[in-house]
Amino acid sequence: MLIHLRAVSACVAALVLGVSLAPGRMAYAQQVSTWDGRPDLNGVWQAIGTAHWDLQDHPARPGHPDLGAIGAMPPGQGVVVGGEIPYQPQALEQKKKNFEKRWSADPEAKCFIPGVPRATYMPYPFQIIQGDQKIMMVYGFAEANRTIHMDKAKPEPAPIDSWMGRSHGRWEGDTLVVDVGGLNGEAWLDRSGNFTSSTVKVVEKYTPLGPNAIMYEATIEDPTVFTKPWTIRMPLYRLLNEGARVLEFKCVEFSEDLLYGHLRKAPTRKAPPEEK
Amino acid sequence: MVTMTTKLALPVLVTTLAGVGLGVAEAAQGSLHHINITTPSPSEGVRWYVRHMGCEAIPTRPDAARCGSVDLVFVAQPTIGSTQGTGVNHLGFSVKDLAAKMAELEKVGVQGSGVRLQRFPDGAMIRDVSGLFKIGFIFDPWGTRIELVEDRELIGFHHVHLSATKPAETLAWYRDTLGGKPGKLKRQLDGLAFNGVWLLVSQYAEGRPAATSGRAIDHLTFAVRDIGGAARDLRQRGALLEEPNVPQGGRTNAKRAFASGPDNVRLAVVEPKFTGVNADRGSVAAARPLEPYTTPMTPWGEPNLQGVWTSNSAHGIPLERPANVEGPALTREEAEARRERGTLGSIWGYEREWRDTTLGLVKTAPSTQVAMVIDPPDGRIPPLTDEGRRRAEAARRQAATEETGAGFDRLPEGPEDLSTYVRCITRGLPGMMMPSIYNNGLQIAQGPGFVTIQIEMIHETRVIPTKPRPRLGPALTTWLGDSQGRWEGDTLVIETTNFNGRSGFRGSSAAMKLTERYRRVGPTALEYRFTVDDPTIWTKSWTGMFTFDKDDEQYELVEYACHEGNYGMTNILSGARAKEKERAAPSSAR
Repeated sequence: MLIHLRAVSACVAALVLGVSLAPGRMAYAQQVSTWDGRPDLNGVWQAIGTAHWDLQDHPARPGHPDLGAIGAMPPGQGVVVGGEIPYQPQALEQKKKNFEKRWSADPEAKCFIPGVPRATYMPYPFQIIQGDQKIMMVYGFAEANRTIHMDKAKPEPAPIDSWMGRSHGRWEGDTLVVDVGGLNGEAWLDRSGNFTSSTVKVVEKYTPLGPNAIMYEATIEDPTVFTKPWTIRMPLYRLLNEGARVLEFKCVEFSEDLLYGHLRKAPTRKAPPEEK
Repeated sequence: MVTMTTKLALPVLVTTLAGVGLGVAEAAQGSLHHINITTPSPSEGVRWYVRHMGCEAIPTRPDAARCGSVDLVFVAQPTIGSTQGTGVNHLGFSVKDLAAKMAELEKVGVQGSGVRLQRFPDGAMIRDVSGLFKIGFIFDPWGTRIELVEDRELIGFHHVHLSATKPAETLAWYRDTLGGKPGKLKRQLDGLAFNGVWLLVSQYAEGRPAATSGRAIDHLTFAVRDIGGAARDLRQRGALLEEPNVPQGGRTNAKRAFASGPDNVRLAVVEPKFTGVNADRGSVAAARPLEPYTTPMTPWGEPNLQGVWTSNSAHGIPLERPANVEGPALTREEAEARRERGTLGSIWGYEREWRDTTLGLVKTAPSTQVAMVIDPPDGRIPPLTDEGRRRAEAARRQAATEETGAGFDRLPEGPEDLSTYVRCITRGLPGMMMPSIYNNGLQIAQGPGFVTIQIEMIHETRVIPTKPRPRLGPALTTWLGDSQGRWEGDTLVIETTNFNGRSGFRGSSAAMKLTERYRRVGPTALEYRFTVDDPTIWTKSWTGMFTFDKDDEQYELVEYACHEGNYGMTNILSGARAKEKERAAPSSAR
């Protein structure tokens, strides 16, 4: 109720003052944290949709032959702004190859750290813990986690490239903007073989849409792979069930057959999985 | 912190100030004589400061370097931590070309000699302070924080910068007890000029600084003409720790006395002809018992445990008290030997950088704690139950498949025959909290109602609610269980159940209830206690303890992508298959 009233008064104020607010801000008010006046992003969040299957528009497709309909790829609307990923010609060929061998080459199948932005829209919840110095993002899959440094005004170079990179955050109005550098480019972007290289830089934006939703946007820039920067956008939703939490999903043991089955005393595979 | 200097040449300044009547007692006409820095190797210390800070070796003194009018005296003892968090914030040195110096040091650091360059919050390494000069910060290889300034009019040793709870009172204390000429640097910064170098004081950021004793800069030494008078004055102020005496091994018959300055900065006063002592081991006091500490609060009102911590000092402490060790603690030398044995025994064969990062770069002296187990008081884990014995025997048989150095009795048939640590799954609880040979970082970050504990080794993160939430049902078990936290005063208490029982600690089962207690016991010390309650395995519960050291300024957790780079697993398994082929081949073929 209170939230609703606040939203209305924000709209009125905007109309009276002739101020144009960002879309989203008109319709919703944010939950404001009590101690520093910033939007409060604390909570357990999850993307809903099929971006983890394919960032672009995709029809239903068969899954791994052994899994029947359980493993099938559901159809889905894309999250790429403008629809197209601006691959350079050679990179597009690589993407197609990735797609062909996705059942064993996808780093997700190997239980590798999913990278940024993929970790955000995996089909599992993640938790944001927002403090005064750092914002932690903790994901269940592969024990991935990120520290978003809020206490450093300018991005420090990453001491070494990593799967999750190095994140520096800042507030632009009500939007948390995170610059992500130092990514090793090993992670894929989805289960369809979309990818980047180690020259990638990601800028993420988290804009509250009221207390229970965040608009997530990630702009991906990688001169090695793409002709220009491009952006994905999708909402994240708060898990509202009582006691909602991120459950640890230590997936290593489920990947060991794929990775090491050929090295067992009684081999379960003929060869190691393909590299990216 | 912006420091000092002035465009006035120092001698001019001193002259200018010399005539100012200060009402300082005759005894208090001190000069800054030397600074005592702890390092495992004094000759290394001399070499480093001569090579990089423009100091000069003193031919007759292998343990000291002359930096302008001040000597640095290196005391052969591992430090119990860097200068960070103590009342001596840093030493200042001025160089002609700061950018070149930083580049030189960065190169040295990369090569593994242990220099750590600090960045400013905006990411830059050098800041040009308007109206002053360029500044930058580094740590020497033993944890002394150094400010480098580009003040071309005063090259060399520049200043000592203290951190104090009450800067103005601290400055007045030094003026009244040890002399020094009051002045304002660039008309901005209050300080005292001592024989051409400055003593500056800034506000300590958080609570009260830690004592300097045993830390990278152990104490500051001032020379006074009348040591009896100085001692009397210090005694009257309740600051005198040790009466003037000629120290054992003294190179001259000059006397020395020890005192405790404001905020537990350890000080010595000496007669001017003091030139140190041979093998000055006695000059560094053992770390004092930790003082009562008030834990700071987060802006939203929970105790603040945030920061980067390491368990490096605890590496080497055995879980249980060894049968042949008596007494409450090891000596420093024994502790040092114990950790070195453990570390080198584990990593011999790694490249130099690895050895440096595990030994040379560790700022924390090894803990002298005899054993982690503090309850039962005998330091031994209580007897196993019958079930515990049965499982321990089964585990011993399983362990035979791992590489033990004694060859493979039963070769690993697949990943499942190896430990969950080798498989990069988990070290389990409380095993994942334990120090190892490297990557002992732990980062605590908090938000309202939650504490995140990030463990560097094989990267694991725990999210602990500090307010009650529904516990998981018994069927939902995980490797690290279901944790519920609460604050008991300033202590974070975490109770964890719902283990899957597949990564037990010393044989602990799925029925274990683990209770952990995290408590800040000093500005840079986090005491960690863990109580293992597992009636299936042990006849009674038991408790272990060790301490994490805060290291925000020098340590950053790296992403330990263990499984992603687990070539070891591929090699172990392919090695086992090769071994099988070799064994199956006719003996003549071998």
